Amino acid sequence: MEERLYDLVFIVRPATPEEEIKKVLTVVEHTVAEKGGKIEKTEQWGTRKLAYRVAKHREGIYVHQEIRTTHGELIAELERRLRVQDNVIKYQTVRLDEDLKRQKKLTLKREKRAARRPRRTAAPTPAPAPAAPEQNAAAAS
Amino acid sequence: MADEQKAAPTPGGVPRREGGHSGHGGGHGGPRREGGPGGGGPGGPGGPGGRPRGKRQYFRKKKVCKFCVEKMDFIDYKRADILSQFVQERGKILPRRMTGVCARHQRWLGVAIKRARNIALLPFAGSAAGTQAPRVVVPGAPVHVAPAAQPAVAPAAVTPTASAEAPKA
Repeated sequence: MEERLYDLVFIVRPATPEEEIKKVLTVVEHTVAEKGGKIEKTEQWGTRKLAYRVAKHREGIYVHQEIRTTHGELIAELERRLRVQDNVIKYQTVRLDEDLKRQKKLTLKREKRAARRPRRTAAPTPAPAPAAPEQNAAAAS
Repeated sequence: MADEQKAAPTPGGVPRREGGHSGHGGGHGGPRREGGPGGGGPGGPGGPGGRPRGKRQYFRKKKVCKFCVEKMDFIDYKRADILSQFVQERGKILPRRMTGVCARHQRWLGVAIKRARNIALLPFAGSAAGTQAPRVVVPGAPVHVAPAAQPAVAPAAVTPTASAEAPKA
C-alpha cells in the first residue's frame, strides 16, 4: 500500500483550557496509533478570529496536524471521533500526498530544465524577472 | 501570439491549417486569413478576440502570474494571507483577468480558497479583511498573546483556572 499524507485541521471552542485540548489531541493520537499511522507534525495556532460564526463563536483555537498512514479508513474513524467531541467545533482532513508528489515533479522538471539550458546573463528578458520576484517575495513575506 | 509564430516562417507559403485553435486570433498574422473585421487591427486592448464589445473594452493588465514568478508549485490553503489577495472584498474569488494568474494556478487557487473557506480561514461572503498568517505555537510552550491578536475575551487559556464552566454542555 502506498503511504498517504493527510492534513488535519480542527478548531476547538475558544477559551478551552489546555487540558481539554490535550484530551482531544490524545484521542487523535490513540486513533492514529490504533489504525497504524503516524503523526508527523502538530501545530497549535492559538486563538484566531473565525471568518464566520461557527457554533455561535467568533473565535476558535486552531490545531493542525499532519498524519501519515497506509490505511485510509483511519481518517473516517478519526473524523467520527472528532465529531463526537464537544469541544471540537469544526474539522477538516485533506489528502496531500498527490499534491506534494506533483509539486516535487514540477520542481524537478524545472531544475532539470534550468540545468540543461545554459543561462545567458546577457539576455534582456531575464533581467527584469529576477527583480520582480524579489519584490514579490519581499511583498508577500 | 501563436499566429505570429506560424505566419512568420511562411510568408507566402502553404496555408497552415493545423491546430484549429488559431481561429480566434483574429486579424493578426496570416495574410491568407481573410477573416473578419479585425483585419490588421492595432490590437489596442490586446485581449483575446480583439473586438471591443460595446460599453466595456477588454482591459487586460499585462501582469504575469504571481505564482509562476515565485515558482510556487503548491498553494497552501492554510495561508489565508496569501489567498486573501485573490479574493474580493465581498469574499468572491477574483477572475483571472483581474489578477493575471495563469490558468493552472487559478484552478489550484480556487481549490485552496474553497478549502480555506471550509475551515473558516476565509469567509464565504463578507469582508476578508484582517486575515493573518497562522502563528505556529508548539503545544506545551507558554503562549504569548501577540499584539496583532484579536480583542480576545480570554487570552489563550494559559491561566490554569480550575474552571468547570468551560464546557458549556
